[in-house]
Amino acid sequence: MDIGNIKKHSDLNFELAQAKNNALEKMRSRQLMAYNERLFKADADTINLISTLKQHSQDFYVLDVNDNPCHIKDPDDFLRKLIERNQETLNGYQQLHQDLATKGR
Amino acid sequence: MTTGVLMYCFDTPDTQYHKLAERCVAQIRKYLKLEITIVTNIETYKKFKPIGMINYKLVEQETTNIRPYRGKKVAWYNKERALAYEHSPYDTTILIDCDYFVFSATLLELSNTKFDMLLHDRVNDLTGQNMIEGKDESTLPLVWATVTLFRKSENTKAIFQMIKHVQEHYPHYRNLYRIRYANYRNDYAFAIALHQLNMGHRIPTPMSMLADSVDVIDSDADGIIFKHHNSVNFTSGLDVHVMDKEWCNG
Repeated sequence: MDIGNIKKHSDLNFELAQAKNNALEKMRSRQLMAYNERLFKADADTINLISTLKQHSQDFYVLDVNDNPCHIKDPDDFLRKLIERNQETLNGYQQLHQDLATKGR
Repeated sequence: MTTGVLMYCFDTPDTQYHKLAERCVAQIRKYLKLEITIVTNIETYKKFKPIGMINYKLVEQETTNIRPYRGKKVAWYNKERALAYEHSPYDTTILIDCDYFVFSATLLELSNTKFDMLLHDRVNDLTGQNMIEGKDESTLPLVWATVTLFRKSENTKAIFQMIKHVQEHYPHYRNLYRIRYANYRNDYAFAIALHQLNMGHRIPTPMSMLADSVDVIDSDADGIIFKHHNSVNFTSGLDVHVMDKEWCNG
């Protein structure tokens, strides 16, 4: 067993895992989005919630990240902005993920 | 409604904070494009190179403190921050340490929401070693005063009055909340004031940080490269609180 080689491999994997973690933090940070003076995360949960509620009504309330109520009067506009931001951040993450995968080979 | 950035910057015998502030200003200009006010003293002001339109507010820092840094005790002038409500000329203020470097527009997004005061209550150690957040250091729900967004209101005025009160009676509050750290720290003073008044909102993502044992070895306008032990890594597009105070010295 070449322990030196295994250690090198382990160090590289640690660094890659850390870079991945930092990229995820960047993505989550970029997903923070102000809307109607409230703060939301443009993540899958929020997108699903708005998408579901909008099928029942065009005017409703949701809670923001600090549990403050926000009146959504134009759910189509809100959903479009959420998806745009979500995909923009995921694209950035995907590019970095690809770079890391190449580095780890 | 005006929005701007407020910074406190006092050079100490050990640290040239003005160099950190100059770099911090460049990052704010690139990503936030907001007006900037720097509260400083005349000695530090004279050392600033010309960095464009900045509102300088000159004060004589009355109070001193010390803190540990890389195995020694160094001077630390951190008590003026309790006066930020009076010092800020803005309706909405982004109060940041001059060692917090902006690499995204996230703070702008946060400033467009409704709040009295908004701060981080979690940190992300970028080295993955989790060496920043200690365990059982107090009985207090801790917040980080490194980045504090506040809007002028009666509520916020009360918070800052409470912070001043905590500062004046710090031994009592330190004892009350069983805070291990002996010296006055703004993080604790802000956390105590918010706890006493039951106010403040939290920034939902953690603050990315590099501990003082981490060396910043290079940087550009998009991010920084850092080294911890034998491991080198980088950040890009992520706002970072850097505790290595020498990296801007060149």
